[in-house]
Amino acid sequence: MNGRRTFAITKKVLRSLRHDRRTAAFLVLMPIFMIAIFGYTFGGEVKDVEIYVIDLDEGVGPVDLSNLVIGNLRNDGSVKLVGVVRTSDGLADPVSYGRDKVVAGEAWGCVVFPADFTSDMMAYSPGNSSAEAATVTLFLDGSNFNIMQTVSAAVGSSLTEVITDDLGMALPVSVAPDMVYGEGRNFLDTFAPGVISLAVMMVTFMISIISFIHERTTGTLARLLSTPVTEGEVVIGYALAFGLIGLVQSIVVMATALLMFGVQVEGSLLLVLLTVFLLGLGMQGLGFLLSANARTEFQAVQFIPIILFPSILLSGVFWPLESVPEVLRPVSYLLPLTYAVDGVRSVMLRGWGLEEIWPDLLVLLLFAAAVLTLSTILMRRR
Amino acid sequence: MENGTFVVRTHGLRKDYGEIVAVNDLCLDIPSGCIYGLIGPNGSGKTTAIKVLMGLVRATSGSAEVLGRDVPVKGKDQRVSYMPQELALYTDLTVHENVLLFAELNGLEPAHLEEREREVLEVVGLWDRKDALVGHLSGGMQHRASLACAMINEPALMFLDEPTVGVDPELRAGFWEHFRSLKAQGMTVVLTTHYMDEASRCDIVGMMHKGRLIAEGTPAELLRDSDRDNLEDAFLVFIRRCPE
Repeated sequence: MNGRRTFAITKKVLRSLRHDRRTAAFLVLMPIFMIAIFGYTFGGEVKDVEIYVIDLDEGVGPVDLSNLVIGNLRNDGSVKLVGVVRTSDGLADPVSYGRDKVVAGEAWGCVVFPADFTSDMMAYSPGNSSAEAATVTLFLDGSNFNIMQTVSAAVGSSLTEVITDDLGMALPVSVAPDMVYGEGRNFLDTFAPGVISLAVMMVTFMISIISFIHERTTGTLARLLSTPVTEGEVVIGYALAFGLIGLVQSIVVMATALLMFGVQVEGSLLLVLLTVFLLGLGMQGLGFLLSANARTEFQAVQFIPIILFPSILLSGVFWPLESVPEVLRPVSYLLPLTYAVDGVRSVMLRGWGLEEIWPDLLVLLLFAAAVLTLSTILMRRR
Repeated sequence: MENGTFVVRTHGLRKDYGEIVAVNDLCLDIPSGCIYGLIGPNGSGKTTAIKVLMGLVRATSGSAEVLGRDVPVKGKDQRVSYMPQELALYTDLTVHENVLLFAELNGLEPAHLEEREREVLEVVGLWDRKDALVGHLSGGMQHRASLACAMINEPALMFLDEPTVGVDPELRAGFWEHFRSLKAQGMTVVLTTHYMDEASRCDIVGMMHKGRLIAEGTPAELLRDSDRDNLEDAFLVFIRRCPE
């Protein structure tokens, strides 16, 4: 690998942009445009959100109201009970155990029924001011606004249904959310990480697929390869240029999100930029790879919707993966954007660092290495 | 490369594209320091032969050697340059930026770059247009810019694929004058053309038809051997002699 030749390719790409002001403006303005437009149109139905239940309710005689609520939650399609811990399980501190599950990102929420849940509820009546209302604690990961709302709503409606419909009682309980992550965050905070990643992905993928097919159809690629430059140097030279473009874009979109929309970042901005840079590398490698399978620019652009639509819909950018039908979830896990969104969101909203998001970075790195290597091999096999 | 040696040698070179045989049993020995013209109609295999020699496409069978190195070679030789038939320049870059790119890819020393750039751009008459975008130049100027990029690395051997297609007569005369001056400096120029009148300007002519080399020699030898007074008629004689 010769650095001078590699950088000559990188400089060539960047110089082209300097002369093409419209494209340069597109690269900068499009992410801003995206964050502004999509910020107000976010929505989606959430299903199978994983939660834990800590049931310490001792009941009153044969009556155990928490069991009724749990049964109702099991039938609620929006949440999925991945674990129910009872007093009989013998944990020393079951409440901390449940909260830790949320802290570790193993569940989005944890519902805690206290020991006197049933007795407090049965003792309570609106006219009895001395009776204490039972309290269900709900630990929540608020890094995804939609999911947080879904869990709260599921627990609330299950309680209401059991108490008012099944028992014919007035509701003597209130839910006390305890935000593990995302305290005070709004809708835009939740979705900004996804849009930052999506904007970089869209632009690097589109310009790489079009640039490379242009190189091939105009004969410039063959001419480059008639010089001492190697296929690997061409690919890496391009990768550096598009990676840099992706980086500039993410800085622009981050600045927009921070300054104009007041989005907050809990973790390291550099880690966000690193994640986005790796995504940009991988997506432009994918652009090279797919353009090698097209003979014309028209054929090449046909790949754009094939990659973009699943990424937009299935990567957790606007809707959580839990809202993706199970049959399509394997596709979600094949998309590099899924890992970038998860990583960037965890850094921005949970304040996680390298020690937590390294699996996402590793997947992005492996993906980039694989597509860039394949692009080089395919170019050699011309 | 010393005079008297061969800069290009091929033996039984063949390139198939599926059912189509683009180059068939090509045997070439091109001596150093000459202008060698590979002539023939469109589709006769000239461009494919050049691309195989440049290592841009792999031969199906046979062997080839360029400047003493087997083709394809790992790591291209910066003493060889190539001007493709199509423009193959970055139209969104200036003439200077295109020349600079090919200079850097060929490992030209930065210290000599400015001087060399001025030299080649003055030769092709584009020094005063070096800051113009290639896309804003006329077709003739773009051709000259392309030739400048092929010359920037001071090659010992140049492959020029149809360098005069679409070039007006005045510019074409200028190109030929330049090819002769390159030859005078000891450079070997291998060019393809389908203009038979240009063949007479070459030192050696190889005539190609349906992928085969059907005749080779100096223009005078080819005329004598075919008993004709122009190379176009001579070409038709050699086609008739060629077994199908």
